[in-house]
Amino acid sequence: MRQEALKTVHNLAKNDPRVLFIGSDLGAGTLEAMRKELPQQFFMEGISEQHIIGFAAGLAQEGFIPFFNTIGTFITRRAYEQVCIDIALHNLPVRLLSGGGGMVYAPLGPTHTAIEDFSLMLSIPGLQVFSPADANEMKALLEASMNDLRPYYIRFGKGGEEIVTSNFINFDFKPKVFGLEQSDIVMCTTGVMLQKCLGAKKLLEGIGKSTTVIHFPYLNELQISDRLEIIRNAKSIVCVEEHVPRGGLFTQLLHEFVKVQLGTDNVSHISLPNSFSHKYGSQEDHLDLHGLTSEKIYKKISVLNH
Amino acid sequence: MNTNYAQLAGKAVLDDKSRLLRTLVLDALEGGGRGHLASALSLIEIVRVLYDEILVHDPNIPLLPQRDRFVLSKGHGCLGLYAVLADHGYFSEELLQTFCSFDSNLGGHPEKFTLPGVEFSTGSLGHGFSVGVGMAMAARLRNEDWRTYILMGDGELNEGAVWEAAMHAAQHKLDSLNVIIDYNQMQASGTSDLIVSLAPLREKFVSFGFDVSEVNGHDILDLVSNLKKQPVIKDKPKAIIAHTIKGKGIISSETSSAWHHKAKITKDEIIILRRELQAS
Repeated sequence: MRQEALKTVHNLAKNDPRVLFIGSDLGAGTLEAMRKELPQQFFMEGISEQHIIGFAAGLAQEGFIPFFNTIGTFITRRAYEQVCIDIALHNLPVRLLSGGGGMVYAPLGPTHTAIEDFSLMLSIPGLQVFSPADANEMKALLEASMNDLRPYYIRFGKGGEEIVTSNFINFDFKPKVFGLEQSDIVMCTTGVMLQKCLGAKKLLEGIGKSTTVIHFPYLNELQISDRLEIIRNAKSIVCVEEHVPRGGLFTQLLHEFVKVQLGTDNVSHISLPNSFSHKYGSQEDHLDLHGLTSEKIYKKISVLNH
Repeated sequence: MNTNYAQLAGKAVLDDKSRLLRTLVLDALEGGGRGHLASALSLIEIVRVLYDEILVHDPNIPLLPQRDRFVLSKGHGCLGLYAVLADHGYFSEELLQTFCSFDSNLGGHPEKFTLPGVEFSTGSLGHGFSVGVGMAMAARLRNEDWRTYILMGDGELNEGAVWEAAMHAAQHKLDSLNVIIDYNQMQASGTSDLIVSLAPLREKFVSFGFDVSEVNGHDILDLVSNLKKQPVIKDKPKAIIAHTIKGKGIISSETSSAWHHKAKITKDEIIILRRELQAS
């Protein structure tokens, strides 16, 4: 996903001199092709995220569209105020490309795991928050972003995710439905948890449980109004996200349900715990521990009363 | 012999224009009943000279594309900026009296979207420098010759992001970037020496790769002469250490840290401040 995103930025930059790439000491070879071809539009700055976001804001104020990539926590935690004031308050078209969403950097410990990034970023007025599921959707999102000059925060997955959004060519902010309009089980998810939910859907259907997955790549406004029947018809609604329980998709869903006067008795969630992890291993190890693999999601949902 | 700029700043005599601008500051302070008075009084001559003599700008076209960019990074000094902008006709002087009122365009820190002439919203310290680096880079990328001026407080230099910006400005050899330090050596809690010493400030900026000069921040001719001679050294961003007196021109605010920021200012206090301004 990251490779596709950076390649897309390079391609966008070829056709639009407003597009700039900024990294913070991301390692030798990062976007080398762009650095060589478009050196004026390529910036590999130092380890200074607070400065870089202000720098990007200054560039954006003058009409450029900077895409800044670094590890997610260095954007959301370290430079929160710069994101809030320099970018969001000024409504500037800076694209924050957040590497390693969720537990991708689990082996590097809790300083590097972006487990509460949705919560932090969704709390900033005007900042548009996205979590695409695969490289296909990432590319479509970045291309569509050229027609929208609001500030963006985009969570990246680890990379190499199975492509599951091929049917959706253009990015349109709306939730994507995988399955029938009427199912007993509806899973609501975002980002790379989509693939896990689709795996669980297959397993559930194998035991005769009709299942639909709704993927929300855009988290500010869930736009469920034209999908209400799917949700209303469901016996169980399960929110699945690689994020702490508060402030992310689950919170957004509950807000939406209240808004459209949907009951929440049949709503549950599977998420990361509200704690820092002191275990390492891999992202998959942590997803397994917290019930976020296809198999674990299936097991939890299969015993629900529906 | 080394010039004792701080002493010169203390002895600098204010001319009629500087007194007028301070009167406007007091008008706003009276209207709002609060404000960062002393912080504004230390930077008035700097902002005045910029707008009178240095910046390419047009009050009738605040977003003139070829304008020089000016960011008041120490946003709490906004009363000084408001006075100068009003003096130049960016808005009516009567507006000053609405300072900090609910529907006013003049907040306790300057905002881009509410007041013409404000380039970037500031308030939380340490942001303006990085934004200015971005602006100066934008001018370079577009091959445009407008310049960027950032006015910072010396207390603001406590913020770590300032030095990130300084390193990057020098790395990119942004010689169209001018960082002016309002070096009054006072912070909210006392002298900067007692809080975080900035000395040797000149050497700090030199070592960060800047072309550094010092100036009496209340001497109009000195400021004009310094700010006009640019760039002194090609490929280096410029740092101008403007030695100033916090609260300059009103003895109460020069001598009492209470005037760093004050709320619930009474009419009687305003009368005293106006009297002291006349006497200075």
